[in-house]
Amino acid sequence: MNTISDNDLILYFYRDGLDAERIREIDDALFASPDLRARYTRLQQMLHAVDAEPAPEPDAGFSDRVWQRLGGRIAALQPADAPAGWRARLFGTLHSLLVPRAALAAACMLLLAIGVGFYAGRSTAPQPDEIAQTRANAMATRVLDAYVAEHLRATEGLLLTAVNSDDSGLVGNRDLAASLVDSNRLYAQAATRSGNARLADFLRQLEPVLLELANQSPDTSVQSIDGLRDYLKKTDLLFQVRATQARIDATGKHST
Amino acid sequence: MATDEVRWVAEARRGDRNAFRHLVEAYSRALFALCMRITRDSTMAEDAVQEAFFNAYRHLGDFDGRSSFKTWLHRIAVNAALEQLRRNGKHGVTLSDTGTDDDGEDFLASRPDDAPTPDRHALGGEIGRQIQDQLARMTTLERTAFVMRHHEGQSLETIAETLSLNISASKQAIFRAVRKLRGVLEPLR
Repeated sequence: MNTISDNDLILYFYRDGLDAERIREIDDALFASPDLRARYTRLQQMLHAVDAEPAPEPDAGFSDRVWQRLGGRIAALQPADAPAGWRARLFGTLHSLLVPRAALAAACMLLLAIGVGFYAGRSTAPQPDEIAQTRANAMATRVLDAYVAEHLRATEGLLLTAVNSDDSGLVGNRDLAASLVDSNRLYAQAATRSGNARLADFLRQLEPVLLELANQSPDTSVQSIDGLRDYLKKTDLLFQVRATQARIDATGKHST
Repeated sequence: MATDEVRWVAEARRGDRNAFRHLVEAYSRALFALCMRITRDSTMAEDAVQEAFFNAYRHLGDFDGRSSFKTWLHRIAVNAALEQLRRNGKHGVTLSDTGTDDDGEDFLASRPDDAPTPDRHALGGEIGRQIQDQLARMTTLERTAFVMRHHEGQSLETIAETLSLNISASKQAIFRAVRKLRGVLEPLR
């Protein structure tokens, strides 16, 4: 009587889940029994046919696309979420106390510089140094673009986390969202002053979503969180963030 | 490659994004194949890969090197793929599905003269279609356990740990998955 089941043969095929004695018994039985050998051959044919199927392949730009999305999200990570040992975590905690303020301070300085630059440009009569002033304005615009591009990368990461993470991840990013609200306002003002109404309008569109994310708390209802996710999924806000970022990057490349 | 990988992991743990990018480039295509086999949907597979790398980056500090980086990363990807299925809810199948596809009944028995002839082996397209049909019939649990055991070469212990099952339940999931592949045998008869 054959006591070797199909399940035994499956485990035997994978050499997993059977002790050495059982494997020896099956070896002996396969040698002695043509029927058992036929059964095992059929199992091998079936599983080798599965192996013969080509592995699913992504398109050629897959890795780059993954990194492009991932880079923004990683950049937006709170230091506490970054991979690190205890020393780096301690450093990260100190860093987190400084960075949002530093970003805000940079945005303030930028706003001031652009304001002063454009004021000076308007109040100065056309002089030989007009060219220098034009260059200064162009430089201010490029600096603004660089800051806004970084701001949009961080915002993209935040939005992606909001769409994909669990509720605790969403709540965990509210400090980052709050810091982005502040800098978003300042960049919108700077864009207005530099005459880039399109960018200013777009940044103002972002503000309600950033505010919503900054106001998430552990008590926020599931419906509210789901509503926010639905909104992000249904609107093309994430796409617009990427498109604006790409446009700024392209402008920066052309102007250098 | 192995030396590079160790260095990239160490540098990425210190927050070096460029080192992590090397790891993304090295593993993204393999992770796509894994996630695609589980989700059977390229959009969900891509999102799962994205989430897997993001979670891996966040938890690199917890990677203790007891398993290889690849094994560790692939386990994260399996869970990311399952999470995508759960979120999208299209498949209506959960990990708790047990399935009762002739559990325990032997299906491999055949007469010796049933052995396939070469011309039957030529029915590659039909076999491929059958494989896809049978994979689609599997529950998420069965397909995931099968993919991990068959395609990824993971042990029953790793499968059980990844899917939060005991060893016996992991075995049963694989048995049911293999049974559902029996349709593949038909073109070979």
